[in-house]
Amino acid sequence: MDNLYEAIFKGNAPAAKVSVQEALNASRTPQEIIDSSMIPAMEAIGAEFEAGRVFVPNLLLSARAMKVSLDILKPLMVAEQSASLGTVVIGTVKGDLHDIGKNLVASMLEGRGFKVINLGNDVSKERFVEEAAANDADLVCLSALLTTTMGYMKDVVDAVHGAGLRAKVMIGGAPVTAEFAEQIGADGYSSNANDAVALAKQLLS
Amino acid sequence: MKERAFSISPDIIPEKDVWFAMGYRDSVPEPRIRDMVNEVKDLLVPKAVLKYMYGEFEAEKISPREMLVAGKRFRPEGIICSYLQGMTHALVFVATAGREYDAAVKEMNAQGDIVQDFIADAIGTVLAEYAVSAIEEDYEGKYGISLPYSPGYCDWDIREQQILFSLFPVNPCGIVLSDSSLMSPEKSVSGFYALGETLVKQPYHCEICRNPGCYKRRTA
Repeated sequence: MDNLYEAIFKGNAPAAKVSVQEALNASRTPQEIIDSSMIPAMEAIGAEFEAGRVFVPNLLLSARAMKVSLDILKPLMVAEQSASLGTVVIGTVKGDLHDIGKNLVASMLEGRGFKVINLGNDVSKERFVEEAAANDADLVCLSALLTTTMGYMKDVVDAVHGAGLRAKVMIGGAPVTAEFAEQIGADGYSSNANDAVALAKQLLS
Repeated sequence: MKERAFSISPDIIPEKDVWFAMGYRDSVPEPRIRDMVNEVKDLLVPKAVLKYMYGEFEAEKISPREMLVAGKRFRPEGIICSYLQGMTHALVFVATAGREYDAAVKEMNAQGDIVQDFIADAIGTVLAEYAVSAIEEDYEGKYGISLPYSPGYCDWDIREQQILFSLFPVNPCGIVLSDSSLMSPEKSVSGFYALGETLVKQPYHCEICRNPGCYKRRTA
């Protein structure tokens, strides 16, 4: 286990920053560093969460350490070497101002190597479609915390699919279920941030 | 209607309540996370101005799923109605962690630290619930009092907040209710306490609820 892996797994951002620099000094390429240390560390902490051995803050600390590491590496990477697993447009649907769960998913996706465009909250179907098209998104992720706003998810799903975009749509949020996702024609549903990463990978495989 | 705005010391907010709201339930976070919770709590809680408003109205359970409060029909559904035996009145309330808390969180999170944001969200939840519990302490009526119940929980349709808010002046405690029944500030609670001479306070029966994802859930 290398220092960077350990720093990200343990969610130690300052140590991760130092370790990234050490890895670069040791002539490892950014892509090697991401593939061999950073992504495995995020996968490992995700597995710990799934097993109930760590909690949401641990995921967030690791995502934060991942982000500071990526911030160092990204400028060093040329476009064709991009580590992005895909482009995700994410937002909380119109009428709903809840951000925290959606931001958690955004951080986890970014931490695992996705390019994430976070539209914030109270996002209209038109804006989802516009941003997905402009960024050639692979995935559109929708969040809702209210039973009164989850219905709008169907409007967004219809708009994204109706616009002929290639993006798949996944949904989540407290009142949302797998059955509801199926009913409204979404491509997937996840119940938590870690699961969302697995689902995103699965949908793009 | 009775209204109150007040501040509290960070020490009044039990760490365990914040941990619970963060998803730890009966577990104890590791020391560095406990330290972060205390840091955020010490920073934000002194800036919060909690508020509540409540009124006492005649109320009765009219069916296994429905009740009348101040002549208005509500449908809190079977779980909540099962607790309402003996209800003759209701304390209908709104309570909030306040806009000052939102502003303090925004200021703290100018750097976009998701961990702090998550902790602040949990503390806001606990503050809003503290304001609700302060209503019960404040109530000096002659009746027995239940636990508080809110639209959006225990199968009660969140849209009934629209009826509940109609019992209050416009934007009570500065809380704005949107068409989608979202309260702003987000860390706000609306609901009622059932009152009655023969009413007996009962624990929440989370085991019969169909929402296993509810953050208030007290059972596995």
